[in-house]
Formats: sequence, structure tokens, C-alpha cells
Amino acid sequence: MPIKNPMTHAIEEPRRPHPTLSQIASLFIRHANFTMGGGSLTAAAIHQQLVEKRHWVSQDDFTLCFALARLIPGTNLLAFCTGLGWVLQRVPGAITALLAASLPCALMVVALTILFDAWRDNLLFNEALRGAMAGAVALTIKTAWIIARPHARKAECLRLIGIGLAAFTLYVFLKIPAIEVLLLAGLLGVFLPPVKA
Amino acid sequence: MNIFLLYVILLKAAATSFAGLAALPAVHDALITHYHVLTEQQLNEAIVITRSTPGAVGLFIVSVGYFVSRWPGALAGWLAMITPALTIIPILHYAGRRVEHPRVKTVLQSVVIASAALLFAAAIPLGRDALTDPLTMTIATISLALLLMTKIETFWILLGGASVTLIASAIGAINKIS
Repeated sequence: MPIKNPMTHAIEEPRRPHPTLSQIASLFIRHANFTMGGGSLTAAAIHQQLVEKRHWVSQDDFTLCFALARLIPGTNLLAFCTGLGWVLQRVPGAITALLAASLPCALMVVALTILFDAWRDNLLFNEALRGAMAGAVALTIKTAWIIARPHARKAECLRLIGIGLAAFTLYVFLKIPAIEVLLLAGLLGVFLPPVKA
Repeated sequence: MNIFLLYVILLKAAATSFAGLAALPAVHDALITHYHVLTEQQLNEAIVITRSTPGAVGLFIVSVGYFVSRWPGALAGWLAMITPALTIIPILHYAGRRVEHPRVKTVLQSVVIASAALLFAAAIPLGRDALTDPLTMTIATISLALLLMTKIETFWILLGGASVTLIASAIGAINKIS
């Protein structure tokens, strides 16, 4: 919370503790790898630790990192953790946070992939996998909707339908590669009326 | 497959997507359609694996990397996943709050909408591979309804689907014996 300096009467941000790299690593290992429920739940857990409990990061810096991470391609959560690491300890902090937030869960995924590979000829495993993969198809469709939903507001609905249908047509019927479709969409965005902030 | 090429392909997919699974169409195009080093089933498995562990959804490219080239491939996938995150450092340093410009937001919005449409399109070949009988089609429909209308964790929905096919297979086997 900002405090008033009694000598200058200026409002000043309180001095924040500077965590060590091992403290940063420990926090991101525990709170960015083992939280089930997706990015927003992980962000909530990190907010509780960094802003509310330890006061390592101000609410403003936290919000800025969260907003900027959403503008960065790839895994938003990793960009968010990297940004917070940079706020804490500049480049060494950013690298530490990124490694701590990505390496343990990547190793868990590799371990599970090895198991999947090893059990591929197992009859029971294949039967179970059939059902899980049907669920994964549903998950892919749901994720498409989750991405599109924020743009389904009345004012932007036409834009959603137009760009969505054009991208679908270019990719499915005209066989234009996904990356080129995305670049075309970005180019189109340059000429469209700006989004209301 | 050359590991550097795999890294470049996965990086291109990750760097042109704005949500975890949004990289899927580009991965599908390159590794299944063009290079034939991954199958539809492996891509589907990678999604199941990622949703069965904690952590970001974008981790599916680590699993894809492993399927293509074992440990070196997993390393390429991990590096491709973390590389775009580093771009936040210069942005925070030089641009800060100025990035929230309406024009930048409009360009990003167009890309995000297109990536949603591409992801929906990518579900078609995955569905063709995974939904092979009435049971799996029913599981997919019920799973989609649960995902859209409830807050049940994805992990439990995938586990539920797996249990249903396992039980159905056991009942089928018992019926054959009797």
C-alpha cells in the first residue's frame, strides 16, 4: 500500500523485499506447476503469494504483467511468470521464473508420454484411451469456443463471424496453411476499425 | 527428424498462437500432413496427456516433440514452448503500458478469432480419428456438454470417458464368453 512521506508529503511506494533467485525458483516451482485448473487459477495462486502474502510485487506491476502476457503469443502463463520474474530480479529473475514454471511440468508430461508409448499395445489401456480421446476432441472444440467467446459481444459479433468463417474456409477448403491464415488475419486487423478499449 | 527443424516447426506453431491448444492446427499441418512424422492418434494422445497433468495446456508440444524424436524431441518442444515467453522482457522494458494501444489490440483480436476458427477446424481430423463408433460419439457429445455447462475439471471428464470405454469393453468381453 502507498505511504505518505512526512518530510516531503509525497506519496511513495513502500520498499519491497528483494527475493533471492532460489526464493523465486521455489515459489514458481510450487505455484506454477502443480495448480490444476488452468492459467487463471495459477495466476490467482501466484497473486496470493507475490502480492498479498509476501508483498514482493505491487498490484500495478502484477496487473501489467498479466495484461502484457495475454498479448504475447505462445503460452500466456509462461510469459506472465517471466514478466513477474523480470519485475523481481530483472533478467536473472525472468530466466529463473521461466525455468521454474516450465521445467517440472514438462518433465511430468514427458514421463506420462513415455508411459503412453510403453502401454500402446496393452488392450485395456487402448480401450481406456479410446474414451479419453473422445473427450479430448470435445476439449478441442470447447477451447475454440473459449478463445472466440470474448469477441462474441453484440458490437463485435459480425467481426467474429466474418473473420472466423473466412479463416475456416481458407484453412479447410482452400488448404492454406494455418500460419499463413493467421498472418492474413493480422494484416486484415491493420485495416479494421480499432477495438474499443 | 532433424531436431533443429523440429524446434523451428514447433516454435513457429507456438509463436503464432495466443492460447494453449491454438498451436494445434500449425502442428497438425507440419508434422502430420507435411512431414508424416506424427499420427492423428499421437496428437490426440498429447492433448489427453497434457490435460491429465497440472501445468499449462501449451505443454502438449513437449509431448508431441517426444513422440517425434524421443528425449531430444521433448527438449526441442520445451524450448519452443518457452522461447516466445522471453519476448515479454523487452516489451516490459521498452514498451510497458504503451502496448495497450487500440490498433495493436485490433490486430491481435483478428489473429485470435482466426486461431479459434482454425482450432475448430483442427478438431475435424482429430474427431475423424477418435470418434469411430456410437459410444465414442456419445462420450464426445456428453463431454462437450459437461465442459461447456459445468465447472468439472477436464481431468475428471477425460477419466470418465476412459472409464466408460473400459467398462463397455469389459461388458462386451463378458457377453462374448457367456
